[in-house]
Amino acid sequence: MPSEERLHPVSILFSFGRSLKAFALPGLVGLVIAVRQPGPNVDAWMMLFLIPAAAIAVVRYLSFRLRYEGEELVIRSGVIFRNERHIPYARIQNLDAVQNVFHRLLRVIEVRIQTGAGAEPEATISVLPAAALDEMRRRVFAREATPQPVPRVEERVLLQMSPGELLLHGFLVNRGMVVIGALYGILWQVGISDRMFGPLAGNAVAENGRVRDLIEAVLRGGGVSAGQIAIAVGAVAVFLIVVRIVSMGWAVVRLYGFRLTQVAEDLRIEYGLFTRFTATVPLRRVQAVTVSEGPLYRLFERVSVRVETAGGRTGQDGTANAREWLAPLLRRDRLEPLIAEVMRAQKTRSAWTPVHPGAFRRLVKRRLLLAVLVTAVTAFAIGWRGLLVGVVAIPWSVLAARRYASHLGWTASGSVVAFTSGWLWRSTTFARMSRIQAVTLRESPFDRRAGMARVRVDTAGAHERSHRIDIPYLERDTAADLQLRLAAQAADTQFHW
Amino acid sequence: MTAGLDCDGDVADGVERRLDPRQVSYQQRVGWIVAAFVSGLSFIAAFGFWASMGFSLVGLAAAGGVWLAFSGLLAWRAHAWPAIAYGHTSYKVDAQGLEIRRGVFWRTITSIPRSRVQHTDVSQGPLERTHELGTLVVYTAGTDHARVNLSGLAHARALRIREHLLPKGEADAI
Repeated sequence: MPSEERLHPVSILFSFGRSLKAFALPGLVGLVIAVRQPGPNVDAWMMLFLIPAAAIAVVRYLSFRLRYEGEELVIRSGVIFRNERHIPYARIQNLDAVQNVFHRLLRVIEVRIQTGAGAEPEATISVLPAAALDEMRRRVFAREATPQPVPRVEERVLLQMSPGELLLHGFLVNRGMVVIGALYGILWQVGISDRMFGPLAGNAVAENGRVRDLIEAVLRGGGVSAGQIAIAVGAVAVFLIVVRIVSMGWAVVRLYGFRLTQVAEDLRIEYGLFTRFTATVPLRRVQAVTVSEGPLYRLFERVSVRVETAGGRTGQDGTANAREWLAPLLRRDRLEPLIAEVMRAQKTRSAWTPVHPGAFRRLVKRRLLLAVLVTAVTAFAIGWRGLLVGVVAIPWSVLAARRYASHLGWTASGSVVAFTSGWLWRSTTFARMSRIQAVTLRESPFDRRAGMARVRVDTAGAHERSHRIDIPYLERDTAADLQLRLAAQAADTQFHW
Repeated sequence: MTAGLDCDGDVADGVERRLDPRQVSYQQRVGWIVAAFVSGLSFIAAFGFWASMGFSLVGLAAAGGVWLAFSGLLAWRAHAWPAIAYGHTSYKVDAQGLEIRRGVFWRTITSIPRSRVQHTDVSQGPLERTHELGTLVVYTAGTDHARVNLSGLAHARALRIREHLLPKGEADAI
């Protein structure tokens, strides 16, 4: 007989807390107004919202039931509108868990169930006792239909990030602007930003400071004193350093104790100082892996690795976004073993095949056109000095086109297809043949004139902006051949969600 | 390219086929309806422009000229384009899956392995019904090609291709 489970009783608190949070801003506004002009009794009005919120929290707790059936997870909820959701285990892509500070104090956990359908998690279960996640993982990802005690399997640590690595990650990924932006937004809303930045703004930061003087001086073609330049350069440098330091702090808080482990056929990712995230991704549900590196990464011989699964396409609340991080920062020499492990392939990288030698000619035409246009517009706007832009932009576009073309490469050997692109910021995407959904060959009129084509591989769960296997500037015959081969290999393998 | 038409026997013959020829007249009819609608709307706009010019002769020439040119383009699009597009569209069904070629200027060849087909639809609009045409819609788990349309098949043929593409039990995902 399948057992029925309830939420943890403190669910009521969390549920109520969420309502409070949603209510916080209007409530605050209401309070401020009430203080300024005494009138209607705000307390009474707030009660009008809070009492139903509390009642809903209790009802939600009482009505929620979780049941493990033989093949599926059944979630019942609702009193007036009863809802029974059946989620077959086979359709569950991954299980994510979130534990913020309060969750940890009370030893509970919020679980999100992702299936391939849509952007939203199929179910968010808030909150369960912390031990329930292990139970759920075991039942959901067990191969056997009937739940039975599984022998404790070896946990293999694939990556563990030390605080030093985290600091380096924060430094390289440079998310400081995001943090500073958020802080500034809060300060601005509370209304103390003017007081804080007022004295600063006179100096270097805001629009009425020396920065503007400097820009105006340049535009007017007047002289710029060495002191002005020094102050401007110094201010920018200090700002950039502060941004990097903030980013390092952000990385440590967010990714503290990052661990990537492999338990049987699942990858587990855990991290977080205050809010702990735990993600479970079955290896067979990895759709594609993207490796990216910027110029600074190469200096430190590091790369960052992301994984794409078909579940959960959102990046709104950050959880899905970060869950894709297989390794925020990885030593370059450890990349190959990790990819081989995740792609389950003996050999992941044979030599890259370059694209058509004519790629540079086509790239440089487009970039030169852009450079000339920008130069012309600038020159038109600020006079002959604008031509200086062209002196930089035109050689740069030639160089960039040359380097970009020479760094395009692809490989399709064994069971993996991969594509690499980018010069300063490089991205490489790997996908298993068994994860290919469709293969497209495209020819633009320009392609046809040059006898080229591009081949695009479609996989599940790709994001709008993510790096894809989309190989441009292939020789027409090579492209046709590649398309045939990939489609044939994909057809030979059975796609399992 | 073999311009084979509807035939009995296995649909998965691996022969590259054109769409049903009725697709041309069907698309022409759709084109004319769209052209009439858009042309009517733009006539109102052109008339408004002429009115704003105080019904002057220059206004009439400008608004009328642009409107005529635009409507002419629409008429050409409705009348001549379907045949051109028809000549550049073909498909192939074989044991491996479905391959669709299309595009006059920007050409694409899309291959969808049969083992990746999640489910399929055959839809038929009122105008398609008068031409006995149908649209085959193939769904995959992919991102760009989560939904692939192939319109302009004879309805009966679309049904048979769907029959062929449907998972035959062995594809029962885990």
